[in-house]
Amino acid sequence: MTAPDPLSVLIVEDEVLLAVELGYLVREVGCTEVGHAASSDEAIRLAHDLGPDLALVDVHLLDGPTGIDAARSISTDCGGLVLFMTANVKRLPEDFAGACGVIGKPYSEAAVKRALCFLQTCVREGHAPGAPPVGLTLAPAFETRWRADMARAS
Amino acid sequence: MGDLQQSSRTGGPPGERSEPPFAAVVRGTGMPIVVSDARQPGAPILFANDAFLALTGYAEPEVLGRDCGFLFGQEAAPPEATAMLADALDGRDSAAELLSYRKDGSAFWNSLYLSPVRDAQGGVAYVFAAHTDVSEKKARQLALEESQDILLADLNSRTRELEAALEQKTALLHEVDHRVKNNLQLISSLMLLQSRRIQDESTRLALRGMLERVSAIATVHRRLFQNADVTRFDVAEFIRDLTGDLAGAAGRDDLQLRLDLEHVAVPASQAAPLALVVNELISNALKHAFPPGRAGAITVSTRMLDSACVLTVADDGIGLPPGPPPRNFGMTIVQLLCQQLRANLEIANREPGVRAVVTIPVPAEAAL
Repeated sequence: MTAPDPLSVLIVEDEVLLAVELGYLVREVGCTEVGHAASSDEAIRLAHDLGPDLALVDVHLLDGPTGIDAARSISTDCGGLVLFMTANVKRLPEDFAGACGVIGKPYSEAAVKRALCFLQTCVREGHAPGAPPVGLTLAPAFETRWRADMARAS
Repeated sequence: MGDLQQSSRTGGPPGERSEPPFAAVVRGTGMPIVVSDARQPGAPILFANDAFLALTGYAEPEVLGRDCGFLFGQEAAPPEATAMLADALDGRDSAAELLSYRKDGSAFWNSLYLSPVRDAQGGVAYVFAAHTDVSEKKARQLALEESQDILLADLNSRTRELEAALEQKTALLHEVDHRVKNNLQLISSLMLLQSRRIQDESTRLALRGMLERVSAIATVHRRLFQNADVTRFDVAEFIRDLTGDLAGAAGRDDLQLRLDLEHVAVPASQAAPLALVVNELISNALKHAFPPGRAGAITVSTRMLDSACVLTVADDGIGLPPGPPPRNFGMTIVQLLCQQLRANLEIANREPGVRAVVTIPVPAEAAL
């Protein structure tokens, strides 16, 4: 097994300190931060222009609780994975708006790193390396997709 | 008038004062009674007794020969009355409460009973009508219905107010919860950002230690509202969550973390101090029990024993140094919080390693 290509990551977060720290974590696990958006418009535009492998999306952005719509738009139109990072896990729609999962705030440094490594393997190999790490909840659709592919691969 | 003459022979002739006892009874009874001719169009009145005349205020000549329409005022007879008469002519009894009018125009609720009377051949010859003034009963009934409507409207409006108030409170709770979580996240990120810039190792470690404590409290808040019951806190689930972070943060591949967790719940108010105690005991073991090169395991277990939560953190490291127990900041926190929790703390060497046992009394209603 070769080392997976680094994921390109777009950070969608209106709290700039959180965004900067998240950028450090993204780089520390070997991913590449390609951009930072604070509003849904900016997020959709950047996702369209940069085509990131993964967008980390907060539900509350500068223009209100627009993260869910931004996530749906990014996952539908740009083909990238979306991972929610929100304190309002219970308010997410049942289908996760097309996102692959959620990390609940307040998250720890370790939980974010574990989740990024896990998703990197899922994206590059098409299946999960095992159960999702503590702190990461997968959307039902992605749980099925990555588990089903794992069963086929083994 | 053939029927009238016939009825004069068979029953009691109306208007005649020397009458048989039966006719005298019908005329004199307190119940208002009217008899109509079923064989004439519109069934004109043949007979009305004194009680009926007293009730309606008409004189006998004013009602005889008329159809019953005048009882319902200026308007045409209501469809219910027409239907009742049709029923009687068809040979069926009927009863209803209808609004009726006296000669002076005043209204009263009339409980009307209509019954056909057949002749010897079986045909319907007369219609017998009994009238009762039920205005008082009706008024009471209407007042009751009205007050019930008012009560129901009042109840509905209060229920709506309470629902709105509850919705507002729930929204407020969510908002506060959201803010607490976001602020804890902000504090963590600030400390992480600063720790990246600190060159001095001991300062950096102190800041990391504080970051872990903030993270432990953050983990409590992340877990607190995940259960339907927000007053209880699941210690086992919390430890599972917390240790995932601590082991990762230690960056030691040669250290194992073993969890032996029994489902234990404590009141939510004890969650944060207990979380800090667990955090200190585990990070203490990670920091001091295994110098570089020494592999080993840390076992964390929870048990519910006689309404007490027993938490054990045991390692197989180098053990306590000889002499009095260490008084570092972490252990001071543990001792102070154990006092606050009214918990008993025992720390002892176990050859190899150290075992810390915290026994926290748990009120019965908080235990699952």
